[in-house]
Amino acid sequence: MRRKKFIFFLLLPTLLLISFIILYPTISGVMLSFKNYSLYNFQNIEWIGFENFKTIFSDPFYIDTIWNTLKWVIFSVFFQLILGFILALLMKEPFKGRGVYAGLVFYPWAISGFAIGLIWSWLLNGQFGVINDILIKIGIIEEGISFLSDPSLAMFSVILVNVWYGIPFFAIMILAALQSVPDSLYDAAEIDGAGYFTKLFNITIPYIKPTLINTILLRTIWVMNFPDIIYGMTRGGPAGSTEILAVKMINTVFYESDYSKAAAHGVVIILIFFIYTMMYLKLTSKGEFSL
Amino acid sequence: MKKLLVLICVLMVSLFIFSEEVITLNLIEAFSSPYRTPTLNNIIQMFETLNPGVKINVISPPYETAYQKINLMVSTEQPLDIIEIGDWDLSALAAMGKLEDLTPYIESWPEKNDMVEGVLEAASIYQGRPYLLPHGVFVKALFYRPDILAKYGIESYPKTMTELYEISKKLTESGKNQYGFAFRGKGYPTAFIDIVLTSFFDDIDPNNMYLTKSGEIIFEDPRAIEALNFYVSLYKDTAPKDSINWGWDEQVNSFVSGITPLLFQDPDTTGMLNEMLQPGQYKTSPLPLGTSGKVYPSFGFVGWGIPTYSEHKDLAWKFIKFVASAEINGYWSKSYGALPVLQSVYTYDSYFSSDLFEGWTKMFDDPEHYQFTEYPLDNKNWGKWNEFQEKTMQQVLLGKLSVENCLKQWTDFWKDAGIN
Repeated sequence: MRRKKFIFFLLLPTLLLISFIILYPTISGVMLSFKNYSLYNFQNIEWIGFENFKTIFSDPFYIDTIWNTLKWVIFSVFFQLILGFILALLMKEPFKGRGVYAGLVFYPWAISGFAIGLIWSWLLNGQFGVINDILIKIGIIEEGISFLSDPSLAMFSVILVNVWYGIPFFAIMILAALQSVPDSLYDAAEIDGAGYFTKLFNITIPYIKPTLINTILLRTIWVMNFPDIIYGMTRGGPAGSTEILAVKMINTVFYESDYSKAAAHGVVIILIFFIYTMMYLKLTSKGEFSL
Repeated sequence: MKKLLVLICVLMVSLFIFSEEVITLNLIEAFSSPYRTPTLNNIIQMFETLNPGVKINVISPPYETAYQKINLMVSTEQPLDIIEIGDWDLSALAAMGKLEDLTPYIESWPEKNDMVEGVLEAASIYQGRPYLLPHGVFVKALFYRPDILAKYGIESYPKTMTELYEISKKLTESGKNQYGFAFRGKGYPTAFIDIVLTSFFDDIDPNNMYLTKSGEIIFEDPRAIEALNFYVSLYKDTAPKDSINWGWDEQVNSFVSGITPLLFQDPDTTGMLNEMLQPGQYKTSPLPLGTSGKVYPSFGFVGWGIPTYSEHKDLAWKFIKFVASAEINGYWSKSYGALPVLQSVYTYDSYFSSDLFEGWTKMFDDPEHYQFTEYPLDNKNWGKWNEFQEKTMQQVLLGKLSVENCLKQWTDFWKDAGIN
């Protein structure tokens, strides 16, 4: 009993710090979502129950936003994983100038997502964009493609940029895991006559599986909560075709100045994360992988 | 050691005696830009030279997020003494009860009678009180590129909306990346949509752009259907597809590069165009008249206000008054591009009566055809309107929503907001 008390007191500063920097803002945000706190209503703030939630769920664009969020997360994470994996495999073997090459490949990760969004919005511009210019000059197209104004292409474009942005993170994580695979396993497999793909699927992937699963789970949360690129490129347009939940929350603050409604969007996002985390914890508790 | 201590004491006492108290005023601007902020800094430098002991600390948030930053800073009473306020944000800020009513200051200000007629009244949209002193006026005009029009054998600018469409269509050769009109699809396209739409009316309420003089919401009028169809044609037939995603930057870029030689914009665009184009490469003309023979521009303004909690209100007013003086207002408007707020500036500086300002001069001289009206800026739903109108309009342009359904949604929006 005394030992438990001692441990509790040791942990107390950490618990207090976490409560202060995480719990307080979360609770405060949840409380805000049940009020009518907006720029036009600073004088008469009161509890309004589920009114903000009713408003956001009755928005005719809301279902589209959920679909957009799903597309954004699934396609972004899938291609980031595949291409990040390939990049890590290529980077694993030593070659001349690997350090310089690694620096170049990983640099997108060092730039702000919003800045990347702005840069790509100009690169993909239908009239002045470099991408269109190159495609026209090499004769692939005759007229500029409206990457960001055609709703079917707009989502593709923002996902493409997000994939480009996110590959380095997967590559870094996977490369680190690949370097921990003992060479003796590959040597033994080679003696048994295993080819490249046999070694990849029977040694490499199973060995780095915990890293893969952890990275996918964490990236899914980050990507869902990552409006920067979309905001820089399209702000969720045209006609809401690239609007994900996180962008909708920002637009609610920027356009409507309705902080309580934005908080309600935030609460929905937290709930989705909560369900997702429960699944995550369930998987980790089975001991299939660990942090 | 003793000598050193004595020396330090003497130095500290001297510093205390001879040091002058410096008062720092915190100023936040809403429309920062590489073309405008240096001008503001020059003016501040002049003010500081004339007023020793006063320092002005400028806060320049990025243009896109400036309103939010200002609103949050004022609502949480962060140290500010001078705030730049735009017409679209004035009611929200004033409604917080944290803006000083400038009536007593303006009443005792000798130059108040020199103000351009209607500016101060327009700035008193919230409960009839001037919570800011405007430093610039914005009215949209048609910008055009005579050099590009001449290549297509077009001698004059379009005088009606029909001519605008026809000329723009004649200019449009998508294969050559040549279009007619610099369309505004995002980033507050409201002012552009409404200019086109109301030009099909001849009975717009001068106090509320969304009402007819008989008090009906304009969007449920059959003329709105014709107007919006025209607007859609203007986009589909004369503008780049990409322009559905264009804000100010893209519009101006496209105008400068000659891709779209016709543009509706505010006078602050002249500051940038003067830097990027040669003299005579662009001109301005009045907004094209609609089928009604009229057009309804709105009277935008930006000004300086003082928070109620400022500890240096009189000094803040001294600065605001300085910026509003004829010499400084002329310098400010010329370099930034907004229209001056004092009448005397137009007479003493020939720049404001030059060809470049032909568009505005003609509109101001012809109140029969160019009838100024106002947005319902004090309505609590105004903030929501811009995003809603942008999104629904984009749906119409993409063919996802019919013109009739869109107008019904707009009518319902304003009925819910209780404007009539």
